[in-house]
Amino acid sequence: MHSNDAQMLVLTVLADGPLHGYAINTAIEDLTGRRLGPGSLYGALARLEARELIEAADAGGEAAERHRTMRITTTGRDQLRAELQQMARISAAGLRALGPGPA
Amino acid sequence: MSAASFLTGLYPPPVRERWGGEISREVAASGIRCWPDTVAGAARLWLHPTHWPEARAGQTRRVVVVALSAVTAATVLLLRSLIPTTTLTADVRHPATSLWLVPLLLGVLLAVPLPPLDRTLFARLVAAAARTLAAPAVAVAALLALAWSGAVRQATGPAEAALVAYYWLTLGFVAVRLCACVARAAALTTPPGTRRLSAAVLSVGAGLAAAAVQTLAALAASGGHPAAAAEGSALALAAVVTLAAGRDLGSLTA
Repeated sequence: MHSNDAQMLVLTVLADGPLHGYAINTAIEDLTGRRLGPGSLYGALARLEARELIEAADAGGEAAERHRTMRITTTGRDQLRAELQQMARISAAGLRALGPGPA
Repeated sequence: MSAASFLTGLYPPPVRERWGGEISREVAASGIRCWPDTVAGAARLWLHPTHWPEARAGQTRRVVVVALSAVTAATVLLLRSLIPTTTLTADVRHPATSLWLVPLLLGVLLAVPLPPLDRTLFARLVAAAARTLAAPAVAVAALLALAWSGAVRQATGPAEAALVAYYWLTLGFVAVRLCACVARAAALTTPPGTRRLSAAVLSVGAGLAAAAVQTLAALAASGGHPAAAAEGSALALAAVVTLAAGRDLGSLTA
């Protein structure tokens, strides 16, 4: 999967509330029908955190070390909203161009 | 070592510290079909040091310094395996074919961490370096003693093969311990700033790229030899990886 797609999926599922890595992937599986590979998932998490679009929701400790819960930041929400609106415009234009589907 | 631990070990240390446990569990749960994605993810993260989560200030720069020392050590071993060669030299008597070494050495110099100004820390640094390099020094001394004893010239068959293996194992051991020494020193010293480190990585990358171009151009002119082709390809790969990582680091200072 393209790394930008993985980042978009992670942001989308985190928009619903904080989750840890495994739960993020389970939510993505519910949404798309397939899990992200570990490289795509944790690469996306690292990139999103570096861009400050997501952040750790827990303060640390042993439980947090095992399952680090992440949440979307305000910048992340703004970025996701902008991307989704752009996708919606593209999607609407594409569907208009295709015309009515077969009955 | 399980496959999950091995694959997690491919990730840059700051990523392993942050996500290592979860990556291992995910790999173990997903099985063999996720291995290519896991390896690709590790490779992508090595190319983007700016994506690594920092648990401590300067952690990314310290890891990059150690990685750069590993790339340099691997390059030295690779070139040693192909000596004698006239296309890629490291010799002041052949300046044209040794020019690639200039940016590489400049990069290594730029990446050297600043020594601690504190006397206690400096003493700890010297002690750590002595402890790490004592065993390779003994191994090299034994190798030299063996070479000067004349036993090498008389060895044939399995004895000769054992001596060659001993030689390469010693070189490999020295390379690994030198990288370990850099890692220990990096923990006790001030790492170079991002701008200097980025310049260092790009300089090493330029040296590797020059070496790769030199090797591949000679290969194209002479019709080629499999060993030279492998050497050129390995150098080109190392150059691409190093230049990409240097460019990514540089994006922080842009």
